[in-house]
Amino acid sequence: MLKKLLASGVALAALSGAAQAADKTLVISVYGFAQDAFKEIVYDPFEAKCGCELVVETGNSVERLAKLEARKDDPEIDMAVMSTHDALSAARKGITQSIDVSRLSNYDKLYEIAKDPVGDNMGVGYTFYATSIAYRADEVTIESWADLFQDKLKGRVAFPNVSTNQGPPALYMVGKAIGDDAADLKAAIGEVAKNKVDIVTFYERSSQVAQLMQQEEILAAPIGRFAWGAYSKMGFDMAWATPKEGQTGGMNVMILTKGAKNEDLAYQFMDFWLSTEIQTKLAEALVDSPANAEVKVSDDIAENLTYGAETVESLKLLDPAVILDNRESWLSEWNAQIGQ
Amino acid sequence: MFHNRMEGLALALPAAVFAAIVFLVPVGILLSEGFRAEGSWTLASYAGFFESELNRAVFWRTLKLGAIVTAVSAVIGYATAYSIVSLPPTARGRMIGLVVMPLMISPVARTYAWIVILGRTGFVNETIVWLGLSDTPIRFLFTETAVFIGLLQLFLPLMILSLISALENMPRDAVPAARVLGANWLQVFVKVILPLTKEGLVIGGTLVFTGSLTAYITPAILGGSKVLMLETLLYQRVTVANDFASASIIAMILMVMSFSANLLLKRLATARNKR
Repeated sequence: MLKKLLASGVALAALSGAAQAADKTLVISVYGFAQDAFKEIVYDPFEAKCGCELVVETGNSVERLAKLEARKDDPEIDMAVMSTHDALSAARKGITQSIDVSRLSNYDKLYEIAKDPVGDNMGVGYTFYATSIAYRADEVTIESWADLFQDKLKGRVAFPNVSTNQGPPALYMVGKAIGDDAADLKAAIGEVAKNKVDIVTFYERSSQVAQLMQQEEILAAPIGRFAWGAYSKMGFDMAWATPKEGQTGGMNVMILTKGAKNEDLAYQFMDFWLSTEIQTKLAEALVDSPANAEVKVSDDIAENLTYGAETVESLKLLDPAVILDNRESWLSEWNAQIGQ
Repeated sequence: MFHNRMEGLALALPAAVFAAIVFLVPVGILLSEGFRAEGSWTLASYAGFFESELNRAVFWRTLKLGAIVTAVSAVIGYATAYSIVSLPPTARGRMIGLVVMPLMISPVARTYAWIVILGRTGFVNETIVWLGLSDTPIRFLFTETAVFIGLLQLFLPLMILSLISALENMPRDAVPAARVLGANWLQVFVKVILPLTKEGLVIGGTLVFTGSLTAYITPAILGGSKVLMLETLLYQRVTVANDFASASIIAMILMVMSFSANLLLKRLATARNKR
């Protein structure tokens, strides 16, 4: 009997503890990337600061967006991070709400392009990356996006698949190089299709490209700057191209779900993540390039990031609405010209 | 065996319930997606799927590679299995161990090994250049050849093991008797070995063909998006386009292909018997 009483007492205590914790629980949805570093730099310090519990859900964009949509009427996620075009997609589906930027004390420290990249304050940028061409400087010279199709690179170049986040921006720059950067990307896809037998593969993961470069299977490929660290350590004479058409890239934003149950905590968390201290630590750990313009890092660190006002200003990013409105037609065009 | 049929059914019940809950129900729900269009049941989505030239190309490539891998593994499998069965017991055990060993290594690791072997600086290309067969390395990676080699290496052990057990069950004196009666090796194979080992061939063939159709890692790593197969197309439709309707259509097509292959192999086996 005593045992039973004790057991039920423990159970009750545990339940009330859980209920108390639930009053201060924040549920976030993030990419599965670099979670150990995020735990150490962002999650644990925030939990200590707010005295709340942080529940972290991870997954790829499609899975997480599908889940947010499925729980639209009774959201369990309070805030999420995603690409600008996914954030716009979520906004159009009525999954997210406008962010009251006056509640973010660090908002004014952000680079201009990170302040409202989605429109209507439906997302606040926390990191971005440049996309350009990583190449073997001892083997080839790259001064334009069109140089991807030079004779020396026939059978020695990889290109991102249209389905990846790097694909459309890279196609957009190829379009610029051949003098036709229309949003339908038809000319660029046509140019890639014309050279498809000379392209080793249309990669789907950045890790795959690093491996092909390491094995000397390829000598050049358009990649996101976030993956550059692996290339600079290969022992080859690797270079990051600064093509005359410019560099492209992408941005990730924070969003707030409509009907979030822990809105105040979500604002606190977003503000904490955007602070100079946290953005600096994430940059130093080479996790994310800072969207906070006050962040200062050493030259060594900057070398591996998309860093500095000048770099940020020079990025030719695709408009998220353009990506969203054309994604399906790009995929059809790509499959028709390249996929067979 | 059992006192009555009820006893047998009762013993089978836990497995049947488990299979129904964790397999039949979710698969049924997934596959039904492909037949539903705006709330009504229809086959239109299947017709629509085959209207796309890309989908047709991927379907034929998957079928072709599956068939070639199955046929080649049967040829190599018979030769290997026959030579293993002819060995004394100790050596036979060791050889079977060697056949089984690759099955204990992750398909991912086995496939990545092929990237190294087939690469520009890999063993195959270095040998080709050294022999003077080509001045420059030949590109194998991201071609149908690479996918074929990867799939064959992945599933050949299953064929060999199926044929070993079939050959072990064959009467020991069947082949010598045929030889004494004047049959050459081709006649021995066609008229004696094949009819007596057809079950093994049907099981092995079904395992290899179904495995080749449904393998994901090997076509994804060795073929990539340049050599799309139904399985890699399915993955692309789900993860890129969040298009579960197309995914369920592809899943259904793969299932029909597997069942058809099994039926065809069985039919071939029984047809041989009747003669």
